[in-house]
Amino acid sequence: MRFAGLLSTCSAAVLCVIAENAVLGHDPDTVLPRFERREVELAVRDFTLTDQDGRQLAFKHLSGKVVVLGFGYTTCPDVCPLMTATMLSVQRTIPENQKGSVYFLTVTTDPEIDTPAVLGAYARRYGADLSNWAFLTGPPSALKRVWENFGLRPVKKARGLVEHAPLTVLIDRQGIARLAYIGGSPEARVMRRDVAELLQRRS
Amino acid sequence: MIFVLVSPREPATRPVGLRLEGSAGCVTRVAVRVSARLASILFLISLTLGCGRNERMDSIYAQRCASCHGLSGRGDGPLSASLPVSVPDFRTTVEQRSTGQIRRIISNGKGLMPAFEPALRPAEITDMVQMVRFLSREGRNLRWWERFDTLVVAHCSVPWELVLGTDEPAEGGR
Repeated sequence: MRFAGLLSTCSAAVLCVIAENAVLGHDPDTVLPRFERREVELAVRDFTLTDQDGRQLAFKHLSGKVVVLGFGYTTCPDVCPLMTATMLSVQRTIPENQKGSVYFLTVTTDPEIDTPAVLGAYARRYGADLSNWAFLTGPPSALKRVWENFGLRPVKKARGLVEHAPLTVLIDRQGIARLAYIGGSPEARVMRRDVAELLQRRS
Repeated sequence: MIFVLVSPREPATRPVGLRLEGSAGCVTRVAVRVSARLASILFLISLTLGCGRNERMDSIYAQRCASCHGLSGRGDGPLSASLPVSVPDFRTTVEQRSTGQIRRIISNGKGLMPAFEPALRPAEITDMVQMVRFLSREGRNLRWWERFDTLVVAHCSVPWELVLGTDEPAEGGR
């Protein structure tokens, strides 16, 4: 157990370093970072957050499902829309018989702006299927624990303007993060293939 | 109702009118006073004529819009090539959409574009609507009324109630 804990800490640290290196500034001349796909092994600690309809969602209740988890915020003028668009593209290609085995989570990095109502409007604008996708917010303390679990350190620059690493994570049925996509424009094709592979793995 | 001119040193409720009392000195004093007020109004207007595009607008635009729309507003920001949709050129936007429609898009979002209403104050959203207009001007034939945009912005920025005072009920009208 101690070894597993150490491994998780190391993975989080590695994720943190990679993610921090990939942090985008908001300078319009910023060059879009290259999308990176990294294999990781990181135990996801349970958390409970509020979804776009104001309901509480506990991560442990998603046990047995492959989870695609992305971090972003609704007023992001940078790459978050691309990450959400990629997740949407992956969601739309999940076969009907596997829809119950995959869950999508978008965790906000700006709880000040992203209330459930704002997240709901965002989800509707994108046309996300909310039967297996939740847009999560919550108190800053609860969110901070989730961010830290994945090595994220969002920095508020102004109202509705947050600097954070463009991170999307793929979590297996046992709640272990297996893949990290760092970059504004992860390829849907690659993510789709990875989701299919994780679905085939025996529990 | 009498529309009155009030100087900043006088109480806002004190009516000022031209009273010809048969005295040349009195008429002169009133004429000087009215001229001074007209001059102060013109001075205020001239000050606000330069209030079109300003640093605050440029700063918000650079932070929140330029990554996709580009610094020139032609839809050529650094992220635009990665987007699955094309980013409009503001020169086309102003031809096809009204100011109200542009404001609604900035406020409520459209497609991948974020809804900025939760993040920006109404005045800042107005600034961004203006930026769309300002950036659209380069390389486009302006319509005659667009030449007065700055004047319209200036007009809206002047605290007219302080300059002109408020309407006062006519005597005995209460």
